Amino acid sequence: MAAHRDWLGLKMELPPRRRLQLTILSFVLPLALWSAISYVPFLWHPLVHITDPGDSEYFSADMDVPRADFLSQNRELAAAGQKPAAGYRVNPVYLPAPHAVVRAFYTAFTTPPRLPNEPWLHESLAHSIRTITLGFLFSSIIGVPLGILCGTYRFFARLTEPFVEFFRYLPAPAFGALCVAILGIDDGPKIAIIIIGTFFQQVLVISNTVRKVDPALIEAAQTLGSRGWRLVRRVIIPASITDIYTDMRILLGWAWTYLIVAEVVGTMSGITYFINQQARYRNFDNVYAAIMMIGIIGLTTDFFLAWLGTKLFPWKRRRVAGTAKITPWLKFFPSKAAPKSSPIPAA
Amino acid sequence: MAQILSVEGRPQVLANPGRLTRMIAPAIDLPDYRQLAPEVAARFERIRKRPVILKVHELEKTFGEGPERHVVFDHVSLDIHRREFLTVIGPSGCGKSTLVRIVAGLEEATSGEVFLDEHAVSAPGPDRGMVFQGYTLFPWLTVKRNVMFGLEMRGKSTASAQSEARSWIDMVGLAKFENSYPHELSGGMKQRVAIARALANEPRILLMDEPFGALDSLTRCKMQSYLLQIWKKVDVTILFITHDLDEAIYLSDRILVLGTNPGGVREVIENPVPRPRSPDQAISPEYLALKTRLDELIHGTAEETEEEKLPMARMTLAGDDVE
Ligand SMILES: Nc1ncnc2c1ncn2[C@@H]1O[C@H](COP(=O)(O)OP(=O)(O)OP(=O)(O)O)[C@@H](O)[C@H]1O
Ligand SMILES: [Mg+2]
Repeated sequence: MAAHRDWLGLKMELPPRRRLQLTILSFVLPLALWSAISYVPFLWHPLVHITDPGDSEYFSADMDVPRADFLSQNRELAAAGQKPAAGYRVNPVYLPAPHAVVRAFYTAFTTPPRLPNEPWLHESLAHSIRTITLGFLFSSIIGVPLGILCGTYRFFARLTEPFVEFFRYLPAPAFGALCVAILGIDDGPKIAIIIIGTFFQQVLVISNTVRKVDPALIEAAQTLGSRGWRLVRRVIIPASITDIYTDMRILLGWAWTYLIVAEVVGTMSGITYFINQQARYRNFDNVYAAIMMIGIIGLTTDFFLAWLGTKLFPWKRRRVAGTAKITPWLKFFPSKAAPKSSPIPAA
Repeated sequence: MAQILSVEGRPQVLANPGRLTRMIAPAIDLPDYRQLAPEVAARFERIRKRPVILKVHELEKTFGEGPERHVVFDHVSLDIHRREFLTVIGPSGCGKSTLVRIVAGLEEATSGEVFLDEHAVSAPGPDRGMVFQGYTLFPWLTVKRNVMFGLEMRGKSTASAQSEARSWIDMVGLAKFENSYPHELSGGMKQRVAIARALANEPRILLMDEPFGALDSLTRCKMQSYLLQIWKKVDVTILFITHDLDEAIYLSDRILVLGTNPGGVREVIENPVPRPRSPDQAISPEYLALKTRLDELIHGTAEETEEEKLPMARMTLAGDDVE
């Protein structure tokens, strides 16, 4: 365990406490930077918030002006023997302080929308979640079986993969106008864009995963009398299901990216609409809160799915056992990155 | 089981094969390895009278085309009788795995045929069980469900598959682990489950490709003794692949020696060591005679295998020597 003394050991797994410390630090560092800029008055703060315009003709109360303008105006006023303007240094409105954003997490939900037909925040979020769920579901209903088929039979791989490979390079947003023309301006085109963005990747990723199933397992099954479809169902699918599950978690993350693109197609909707409106009203604390909510929803979903995975696939439990549980998101592929030296229970 | 577990490793002096026989062979007068004691000869007589289970006829396997062409072996013929234990031995790359994979139907022969009970085989099937060198238990199934796999494939009901699987797991002494997953087992236990899984299908022949190759030498010895006990209790014929001389002598009735350059059968030897086998026989004259012969066939005669001196310049200070 001497290796653990070294913080920067090459490819060396860190002890759990250090991992936890670093995990917390990875969030604390950006937060500290943000707080410093927000709360230390002489750091950045490029504007001056006018409290009293004095005798200035240009300034009025509650106005934000660049500091250079404020200083030169006050010099002029002082030279003319007039009353100088007063104010304090602030950051631009698009950089709210952490406490404002934290407060917005609560107030964004409780503030009624300004316009009568505007959705509440929770309605916007629900709308987004519905769109992404439907898009991902429709994509998976075809994409997963097709991926498995392509990974198992060279016939299907040859038949579909070259086209899929080509289509995958067509950016999903490029189909926005087309989707609107065909599917109208409501949720149809949005779901379609998520499908286009997810489906082709899904087929390729899953077929690759299935292709990596240990051939020795397939051969063993064959010598036990397993053939054809039953071999696929009883061996190839279970042998690859945990990796397919990991693939799906990653694909779901990508789907969130497509969601934001999809929601501006047709009538803007969901969380994107909320963010857009709040930015228009210059409620940037709400904007930040909404963006972070997407992150939190994504992370929570992934956590839940990771936990569900350990329940669904008990034979993989060893791989994620022990210390790895504390920070699973630090590892992109938790099940594959597990250290080889993990102790095998002695018999 | 306790009694099986008490089987000790064979004498450590034999851990380094070849050397010892080369030392001893000239020192003591060894009998001819082809000379069989009357009871051993009678046993082979009885084996020959049994029906042929597996017939390999003029098998040839070639990889590649044109200048890349590589003949692994040709003209391999052999008959295995019911409940015979036949071991194939040979240096690495001589095509042992290839041979057994062709018999299993996992690979196609370039020419020649394999008959199981007089039917030509062309595809893998449950009548030829196989135990691989690597661990090939299904990681997503418990021990019991692994053993049930083949039974279910043959259309047995879950209930009867379950009770049959139990009795096979009992036989390999793993009743306590029937609900464990493979990753919770040691290497030796995994291979015992693999044997149970193959035997549950009641195959005509059990093909074993270096099944104990990945185990440490002590576990290996135990596994060999297990295997002999199982073989005695079950109506099964075994084709066993190994590159370990002691393993071959300890287990088999006959030993087929494959060679390289040119590939093919060097010799088929009737093992003169009487049954029942025990580790003590490792210093009996027949054992040493056979081992010397196998050693010759595989590693060449003593003169041929004189250790090569590496042409290397000295890279240490003068006087800084190790023996
Ligand atoms: N798919 C393949 N393509 C080309 N050559 C192959 C292939 N499979 C095996 N060979 C060749 O066939 C020969 C025999 O291989 P095989 O695996 O049967 O040897 P082996 O006797 O089992 O060796 P070992 O003791 O190392 O397991 C080797 O020389 C190998 O290079
Ligand atoms: Mg081999």
